[in-house]
Amino acid sequence: MSLDPAISLVGVRKHYPPREPGMKPQELFSDVALEIARGEFVAIEGQSGSGKSTLLHILGGLDRDYEGQASVLGLNLRDLDDRELSSLRHLTIGFVFQSFNLLPGLTALENALLPDSFGEGIPDAARRAREALDRVGLADKANARPAALSGGERQRVAIARALIARPPLLLADEPTGNLDAQTGGGVIALFRDLHKDGITLVVVTHEARVSRAASRVLLLRDGTVTADPAMKEST
Amino acid sequence: MRPAKLWRLARANLARELGALAVSASGVALGIGCLVFFLALGSGLEAVVHDVFPVSTREVEVVVPSLAIGSLLGEAKLDEAVLTRLRKIPGVIVAYPKMSLRAPAVTRYNGLFFGREIHMGLEVIGSGLPPELVGADARLSFEDKGDENPIPVVVNRRLLELYNKVFAPQRGLPRLTDGMLVGFQFPVELGRSYVAGKTMPNSRETSLVLVGFSDRATLGGVSMPLSTVRRINARFGADAETYSSVLLRAQSTEEMPAVAAAVRRMGLELDETERNRALQIGSAVELVTLALGLLAALITALAAVNTMQAFYASVRERRREIGVLRAVGATRGDVAGVLLAEAAATGFAGGVAGVLVARLAALGLDRLSRTHLPDFPFKPETFFHFEARQVLLGLGVALAAALLGAFLPARAAARLDPAKALTET
Repeated sequence: MSLDPAISLVGVRKHYPPREPGMKPQELFSDVALEIARGEFVAIEGQSGSGKSTLLHILGGLDRDYEGQASVLGLNLRDLDDRELSSLRHLTIGFVFQSFNLLPGLTALENALLPDSFGEGIPDAARRAREALDRVGLADKANARPAALSGGERQRVAIARALIARPPLLLADEPTGNLDAQTGGGVIALFRDLHKDGITLVVVTHEARVSRAASRVLLLRDGTVTADPAMKEST
Repeated sequence: MRPAKLWRLARANLARELGALAVSASGVALGIGCLVFFLALGSGLEAVVHDVFPVSTREVEVVVPSLAIGSLLGEAKLDEAVLTRLRKIPGVIVAYPKMSLRAPAVTRYNGLFFGREIHMGLEVIGSGLPPELVGADARLSFEDKGDENPIPVVVNRRLLELYNKVFAPQRGLPRLTDGMLVGFQFPVELGRSYVAGKTMPNSRETSLVLVGFSDRATLGGVSMPLSTVRRINARFGADAETYSSVLLRAQSTEEMPAVAAAVRRMGLELDETERNRALQIGSAVELVTLALGLLAALITALAAVNTMQAFYASVRERRREIGVLRAVGATRGDVAGVLLAEAAATGFAGGVAGVLVARLAALGLDRLSRTHLPDFPFKPETFFHFEARQVLLGLGVALAAALLGAFLPARAAARLDPAKALTET
């Protein structure tokens, strides 16, 4: 018996309300179908405004205003209420954002521990947070506040925060978008390591170097997702 | 979400938004400061009223009705038989009979009065009290010692206060204390009246010795042992059998209505003049306190509105952060909980500051009163009486105001669409 895919989208449509009365709704996706197996490292490319971030928010249960069916690890997202979705994000999905989104009042360690504040908490959270910071190379910056960290360091703290619950799925939205080439390279290397550890990664990006690191590259264009013809699918 | 973790998040936000939250806390502090200040002032003034008009909720003064069919028929009187019946009323634990000095008496003082030469003649108004009612207020013996010895008397404390604050300054007489006066003797002539201008055939001179000050003593005169008054009344042919009033003490306040009803059924009345006066003044103080308390509540309500605006602004500024909280697993309730914890901390800080402000303002006003107000009768050392329950109420109201103020912003934060919150700049 095969496992459910990590992600499955069937006939997903998304549109925004018309800008003015009488106008048609603005369609973002017309009919997105997508399946991502467990352990895959998938990069989703697309032009600015193509809906990459929105797609990621739908996958993470943050955006529920869509049509069609979206499943994560066998769970139909539409069947889950707010509390269940929160629990899913808490323990099963890690998020990494382009602008890091660290809480400025908390230290690096406290930011990494942020998921432990919710739900039933994270077992052995303090040790896991230190391990996560160690893994991203920031063990010595545990007590630094975000303002005292470089952009690359902030992103690595954000990755540590996403990893503390040891989620099987990591969703990243332009994780290297605000980083210089060298720092971005470090983040990509980290993603490769996570992929080797069996974590499913879905990374929205417009950077070729991120796509090159992925095992599969998809293109979001004209409201649908297709395999990127320019990239060779790896196995 | 566990409280310690909730507090960790709230504390970080509080530290970051200290300025804005300090403004909110200041508003709460102003309202709570006013509330606690006015409540303490009300309590302080009530204590003064209680000092001036000491009334017990367990005691009533029984008198013969001033005009009643019973009295016309000769039935309503306070004699030994009625006293015995009063003592048997269920709930009554003790009955103290009192008797007016019905024979005339005057005092004439010519000589040195604590270093001042005075010449004074006064009609003596007296009443007789059982020594056990005066109790420890009498510093010397308050027992009848017969014709040959000075008559022990106790004086109401309020009389001494009026003497010290009004009479003595006007006449250039020295101010006196309890200690100075206890043991002081002054002459009295029994059986003589300046007002009626007559001297009874068997009049005699003796003296009164002040043995103490008591709230139980009559306000307009001196109080002697009951047996002394009975003896003097008998000597001058006045009524020495019936009492002018009887003080009843009940087991508890709850039994007072039943006791009062039983007294009325006996055709007697309750003398509630003093109690009513105290109640009227007490009610006036309560009314003013209530009005000022409402003013403080209004200020606190405005502080709550201010808190609401501050938290709405905070939620607007922290939309992305709220989105992040939702992305890492916070439920709507968790988001609201963080905001409300911040509000609670703000309210608590405002409440503590308000209580301190009230305390300092009270100290300042008491100091001004001591240095700038004339020394009027019953002027208290302090006009304020701070009680733990007022402080707790102040802190509770501060918390409630802050939580109410933050409720709608917290709800708005909880309802934020996380996807939009994360994408909006």
